[in-house]
Amino acid sequence: MLFPKRTKFRKAHKGRIHGLSKSGTLLNFGAYGLKAITPERVTARQIESARRAITRHIRRTGRLWIRIFPDIPVSSKPAEVRMGKGKGSPEFWVCRIKPGRIMFELDGVSKDLAKEAFCLASMKLPVDTRFVVRLSE
Amino acid sequence: MRKVAILNASLRERVGTGSARAARRQGFVPAIIYGEKKNPIAVQVLRKELDKILNKPGFFSRLICLKVGAEDYRVLLRDLQRHPVSDLPWNIDFLRVSATAVLTVAVPIEFINKNISPGIKSGGVLNITRHSIEVCCQAENIPDKLTVDLGNVKLGDSIHISLISLPNNVKHTINDPYFSIATIVPPILLTDINVEDLQEENKKS
Repeated sequence: MLFPKRTKFRKAHKGRIHGLSKSGTLLNFGAYGLKAITPERVTARQIESARRAITRHIRRTGRLWIRIFPDIPVSSKPAEVRMGKGKGSPEFWVCRIKPGRIMFELDGVSKDLAKEAFCLASMKLPVDTRFVVRLSE
Repeated sequence: MRKVAILNASLRERVGTGSARAARRQGFVPAIIYGEKKNPIAVQVLRKELDKILNKPGFFSRLICLKVGAEDYRVLLRDLQRHPVSDLPWNIDFLRVSATAVLTVAVPIEFINKNISPGIKSGGVLNITRHSIEVCCQAENIPDKLTVDLGNVKLGDSIHISLISLPNNVKHTINDPYFSIATIVPPILLTDINVEDLQEENKKS
């Protein structure tokens, strides 16, 4: 699973997701992409699960790029612990996704295969998604 | 050289966010014409007409005859902004060009003979690092596309800019002959997937 090698601070604020994505909204590497159209926090497990769904569907062909990285730690308290006594310990890593963000890119496969693979991947993700195709410039 | 596309536009009386949003609500795309040391002109283009040009490849290197009222402008699509979520065209910049003007234009690259390439036949994937290349030429001489032959390319090979032959009066802006535009790379291997997971799947099936 993806997570940062080293961080400046162990714990982060919860934060909110406002507005639309400013960067990462265009296809930069592959011919096909999966674009988020709703805001949500995507965990490292969900990214890994989506990546596996794609790579297993396309098998030995194609090339995949992951355009998101979970760099925000989320903390939680253990079960049956009373409130207070400070913030819980970091449990997992997430990435804040704004609408318009390209999450995955794929190349070297047919359009139908890419569409099927991204359909499987989108089922593993908490965001609504759209399949996008590169327009030849 | 290809044919000049024709596009109708109308003048925008007011500029700014409010009028641009009003134009978009009515099915137009706000645009601006600038260049040749003349005053910029704010115009709007019907989105349906614009989509016909944007759906064809090489729209950044195609000359357009923009008809604004009684006047015609020879322009080049210089910049295109899209909505981040819907990908609809949001704003367009047109550059006025004269016949003798020398321009730097991004021309799309077409890769041919993919099916007979030994690198791709052996399971490799064409990893394109540059989908278009900037060339320097007169507006009349802008090529439709540049072709790269993949007939003899093997797995692990890198395709350099020097492989592209340009027409007369067209020059590369990149001087390095070893500048890479694409590579044939190995595909995603099954080593990426956990062997244990595969074994579990096999047991289930």
